Amino acid sequence: MSISVSYQPTWLHQINPSFKLLTLTALFIGLLFVHNPNFLLYMITGIAVLYLFGTGHRWKVIGLLAIPLTIIFLSSSTTMIFFGEGEQTWFKFGLIHITEESFYRGIHLGLRSMVFGLLSLLFALTTRPVYLFYSTMQQLKLKPKYAYSFMAAIRMLPIIVEEFQTLRQALKVRGVQYSKGVKGMYEKVKLYAIPLLAQSIRRAHRIAVAMEAKQFSKNNKRTFYYHLGYTNKDLLFFFILVVWLIISYVCSNQFTVFPVEYVR
Amino acid sequence: MLEVKNLRAKYPNETSLLFKDVSLSIQQGEKVLLVGPSGSGKSTLLQILAGLIPDVIEVPIKADKRKISESYGMVFQDPDAQFCMPYVDEEIAFVLENRNISQQNMAFLISQYLDRVGLQLADEHVSIQQLSGGMKQRLAIASVLALEPEVLFLDEPTAMLDQIGTKQVWDTLKEVSEDKTVVIVEHKIDHVLPLVDRVIILDEIGAIVADGEPNDIFSRFRSKLYQYGIWYPNIWDDYAQQLPNYAQYDNMHQPIITMDSFHGYYQKQIKMHVNDAVIHRGDWLAITGENGSGKSTLMLAIMQLIKTSGEINYFLSDNSNTCDYRKMGYVFQNPELQFITNSVYAELEHSLKNSDVHPEKFADRLEAHLKRYNLYHVKDHHPYQLSIGQKKRLSVATATIADVDILLLDEPTFGQDAKNTFQMLELFEECRKNNITIVMVTHQPEIVELYATKEWRIKDGELMEILDLSRVQENISKDDMYVY
Repeated sequence: MSISVSYQPTWLHQINPSFKLLTLTALFIGLLFVHNPNFLLYMITGIAVLYLFGTGHRWKVIGLLAIPLTIIFLSSSTTMIFFGEGEQTWFKFGLIHITEESFYRGIHLGLRSMVFGLLSLLFALTTRPVYLFYSTMQQLKLKPKYAYSFMAAIRMLPIIVEEFQTLRQALKVRGVQYSKGVKGMYEKVKLYAIPLLAQSIRRAHRIAVAMEAKQFSKNNKRTFYYHLGYTNKDLLFFFILVVWLIISYVCSNQFTVFPVEYVR
Repeated sequence: MLEVKNLRAKYPNETSLLFKDVSLSIQQGEKVLLVGPSGSGKSTLLQILAGLIPDVIEVPIKADKRKISESYGMVFQDPDAQFCMPYVDEEIAFVLENRNISQQNMAFLISQYLDRVGLQLADEHVSIQQLSGGMKQRLAIASVLALEPEVLFLDEPTAMLDQIGTKQVWDTLKEVSEDKTVVIVEHKIDHVLPLVDRVIILDEIGAIVADGEPNDIFSRFRSKLYQYGIWYPNIWDDYAQQLPNYAQYDNMHQPIITMDSFHGYYQKQIKMHVNDAVIHRGDWLAITGENGSGKSTLMLAIMQLIKTSGEINYFLSDNSNTCDYRKMGYVFQNPELQFITNSVYAELEHSLKNSDVHPEKFADRLEAHLKRYNLYHVKDHHPYQLSIGQKKRLSVATATIADVDILLLDEPTFGQDAKNTFQMLELFEECRKNNITIVMVTHQPEIVELYATKEWRIKDGELMEILDLSRVQENISKDDMYVY
């Protein structure tokens, strides 16, 4: 089974991964303190443009990944809209109670989850894990021990997926029947987790021995196959983000879409 | 030079010593083959000689003298468990990084090492996952060469490869190892012999029973090698010598499975196609073909474990005419994935509970079955604690205990030593005597020749040829049969 996805590298791929990681983390934290849904809406439009046209992935991939995004938006906003508290009642039917306050709070919550989702996807789609770890070793001084362990672990994932499929077939052939309800869930988890873990732990141990046999960790100094420095793409990325933050701020004051400015 | 004197080693939780005062020295440039039965500690000895034990793997050892090489490389047996990077070039670069080679020289060196193992890739930045087993092992050799080692340790590098891959790997190793000291552990030794000038045989407890020049060893210790289950050249001849003549069965004309325009799908694509074929009751059907030709897909399709189309009919003893797992046994390549309980006994009991065998008969049947499969002494062990051979036997036992009509096996003898292989073949033959039809994927022409009554040759996802072999077994005497 292959779970590789082909794509055209874009300028977003060329940004230094550590820089991208830190910038986006900062943005994440910053957005937590934003309480204006208008601002979030404008932010999302900008990031969505990058997501849609900047990742170099095929439309099929972009479209598929947009589905969970939409679900996240709908589920997080509707729960708040339908069941949140508020004074100005718009609609009431049984348990469902939509008020003006809960409506905007719901929209705000949905937008917030969506902006986080979009930023994460943008990062994941434009960053090769290998480059990320090389960059964290070079720029953030992560110890090679950890970086290479992560990379080796990522390599094991497709093998685990394959094993999972075989395991499912094997259990079917052996006529395994599960109990109903929670107990059945527990049985299932046990039946799948133990063999998969056993195989993975053994494989991980073998890989570790093979890595040490290749003189890994004998000395701490090492050269790097990939050199990841800073380029003007990093500056461009930073610049675009800052400019868009300003534009979003201005627009959210000038052209308000939702008639509220402060929601918590 | 490598040397150990009066070596003793003990695995934690084991009561007995693995080695008891073993002494061994290997001169520079020597090419040594270590053989011995499963569990004799060949791989452990190799790891001690390399220094992986006790530096990396913590096993307590004691020796009066231990001299190891500072510069060594080791090729391991599992192609999927020795790389840490996703791409070919990155994997070799990993070694170059460890050696502090400057980045400017890397690209050149990577091509050079790949060249030396005959891996000509249009693009060196290719995913390792896409390579065949043989190619992966050659990449492993290339990355070991990148260490520029003086000593090469090879720990069953072809145990998990098919015949083509095995030959490629040993041809490559012959070429690259000329100026190096080489220590090899292997039980499939046909291709290894031209490479070595010294053979050491270990016994069950890790003592050296023979040490000498290959021809001499093979003439003097042939029966020991047979006993230890080492795949020496022509072992199949020696095995066939002592085989009884298998009788034919009368009811071999009843179909058990029929197929018509039958297709098997994988990820929505047709991967396997059978136009018109019948499996008869009492057959030993061998399914052969190159790697990736669709043999396993055919097995999965027969078991309805993947999507299929076309016609397939099952004539099983429960008259259900459906694919009923209570009447069809399937043995996967990795037996561990089929174990679901915490003991050998419970494992077999589970199979019985799923069948229509009466619970009163359970105890007797379990005991008989455990004894027949030589698992009685380990019946309370956890399945994962068994040896490889025992695991394989248990997975077959779980499939056969409950009156199945047909047993499907996906390369059941793959990677096993000769002893386990012969033992399993005899078990299958016994199953066949008890009216269980055998369908098995195999790469081993000798198995087809000795046991199969029919052979299906698969090529490019299509059943190309059906050979009836039962006549051969009946009319030709044993002595004529093995003239090649």
